Amino acid sequence: MKRRKFIKLSAATGTAAGSGLGPLLMDLYAFQNSSKLSKVEAKFYKKYPDREIECVLCPRFCKLGDKERGYCGVRENIDGTYYTLVYGKACSIHVDPIEKKPLFHFLPGTPTLSIATAGCNVNCKFCQNWEISQVRPEQISHIDFPPDKVVKFAQKYSCPVIAYTYSEPVVFYEYMYDTSLNARKKGLKNVVITGGHINPEPLEELIQAVDAIKIDLKAFTQDFYTKYVRGELKPVLEAIKIIASSSIWLEIVYLVIPTLNDNPKELRDMCQWIANEIGPDVPLHFSRFHPHYLLKNFPSTPVSTLEEAADIAGKAGLNYVYIGNVPGHKAENTYCPKCKNIIIQRQGYIIAKLKIKNGRCTYCNNRIPGIWI
Amino acid sequence: MANSRVIIVRKKDISSPKGIPDLNCLVRMFKRGFSLLNGPGDYKKNLQILFKADDQIGIKINTLGGKNLSTRPEVPQALTSLLIKSGIPSKNIITWDRTNRELTTAGYRLNMNKKSIKIFGTDSRGLGYEQDLTSHLNIGSRFSSIQSRIVTASISLAIVKDHGLAGVTAGMKNYFGAIHNPNKYHDSNCNPYIAELFSTDSIWKKHRISILDALLIQYHRGPAYHSQWAAEYGALIFSLDPVAADFASWQIIEELRFAKGLPSLKEEGREPLYLKTAEKMKLGKASPADINIIREEI
Repeated sequence: MKRRKFIKLSAATGTAAGSGLGPLLMDLYAFQNSSKLSKVEAKFYKKYPDREIECVLCPRFCKLGDKERGYCGVRENIDGTYYTLVYGKACSIHVDPIEKKPLFHFLPGTPTLSIATAGCNVNCKFCQNWEISQVRPEQISHIDFPPDKVVKFAQKYSCPVIAYTYSEPVVFYEYMYDTSLNARKKGLKNVVITGGHINPEPLEELIQAVDAIKIDLKAFTQDFYTKYVRGELKPVLEAIKIIASSSIWLEIVYLVIPTLNDNPKELRDMCQWIANEIGPDVPLHFSRFHPHYLLKNFPSTPVSTLEEAADIAGKAGLNYVYIGNVPGHKAENTYCPKCKNIIIQRQGYIIAKLKIKNGRCTYCNNRIPGIWI
Repeated sequence: MANSRVIIVRKKDISSPKGIPDLNCLVRMFKRGFSLLNGPGDYKKNLQILFKADDQIGIKINTLGGKNLSTRPEVPQALTSLLIKSGIPSKNIITWDRTNRELTTAGYRLNMNKKSIKIFGTDSRGLGYEQDLTSHLNIGSRFSSIQSRIVTASISLAIVKDHGLAGVTAGMKNYFGAIHNPNKYHDSNCNPYIAELFSTDSIWKKHRISILDALLIQYHRGPAYHSQWAAEYGALIFSLDPVAADFASWQIIEELRFAKGLPSLKEEGREPLYLKTAEKMKLGKASPADINIIREEI
């Protein structure tokens, strides 16, 4: 393979040269880039007269005439039928440790085959993946990677888990759903990394097909969601409640952005809401913001702000509070709430120590909630 | 401050039963429109005021509506013939839109020959969208390299349509086709996004004139084509004021809706709020008292 082609494909697949994933890269290379979009009928929409439709997948409820696309940019009304244009059209493929998602109480140390397509149903001004989330599928490279091939790749590269991530999986719902069912038949697990901007009905159906969902709760005020997310807070909270009341695993991430969503009262309100509505055992990750996309003029979050947030969460009664994007911080570890020992020691994405057996702390036998090996 | 002028030039039965407009009539309509831009005058002189001979003129058309409801190919064809007569070299004129597929579907023949009038989409080989984001007010977008790099003087040659969200789509919203993520700007009646996008340097500093293809107007249930709510109006609308041009289009849509017994856009909760926003941003006039509409029949 010529060097230029190799680098180009690395960029297209999100696979870094030198990451030890040469065989994966070579396999993906065999697929070649695809310029064609899919035309698979979408789930969750209503048909109206005169070729108009209403998408009911997410709380935007886009009402679209013929030839129009939804806010996500990846679903189009063609002659009165609504289609997903990204079914099996992966623009990013990578093997990540599950800690990178982050999911800390779900099969720690497990590699995940992580995939994404173009598109997103919100427009966060701090998006770290805007090059794929805020574009239309025809504007970036993608390959044909249908559900059965995703599953085969996961098996071939020893990934017991498939992660739907990077952009916003809700907008490639049909692809994610079919892949999940396929994966489950082969004994693999599925995890979803999402902003949670999804309506109850599709969420409840998705829950039947996947094993864990991580929600990015962007703030705890509608004002922030209006100004910086272009979305709604209420449906996200509703989604969190639905997931929490189901049998699948849930974790929450809160990206702390200086001056925008780091107000102690807001953090306190959020933590109390989580403790009251979801319970004290849901892991909550406070992640460090770095300047990106349309918020390049903001500084990175001071570590002290994250520590203050974690302190507020602890005082609200939450048992598993983490600080993310601060390598080496002690709040990367999992502590047993009862005996206070470190039961999972993390160094970046590496599991240095795991002291959980049969779902219990090996020091004091306290039950630790999660899905364990 | 002087009122803004909007020139509406109409020609009855300009289009054949198949909807194809007569090219010679279009040329006459353009001549009339350009000659009245600044009060009675000469069309060539007015064009020479608007464009320098070394300008790269971008004619941004709207071909989203397919064969039935796009800027008709004869319209930019008539326009370019007059631009050439006014001294613009043909190689300096580009008729463009988002994609080659949409252009060909709407009846355009692509041409990337550097020595003649060019017709192509942003997705043509070697073009595409800028890598860098333009961040301006609520806008965060990558511009078509045609608009940002090639074009020095821009004409919005849009079609006039009712729009389910914005109320009206005409000359200003046409520039949604110059960015990579227009789907992100349809909230809140597309307001303030239409005005804010228009005020970016890549558009505001280059836009010279709005010319609106109102030969066929979709006055209800747009922007998709519905024959039962499309009217043969037979007009071209000219204005140096982009806001006033869109305001006049809105008024025509309301007239057509009223004549058919349909509720006004305001009554349907779709009043084009972006016009007032644009006026507040001093992009043009959106009040009847500040706009002189000159109606001409040829």
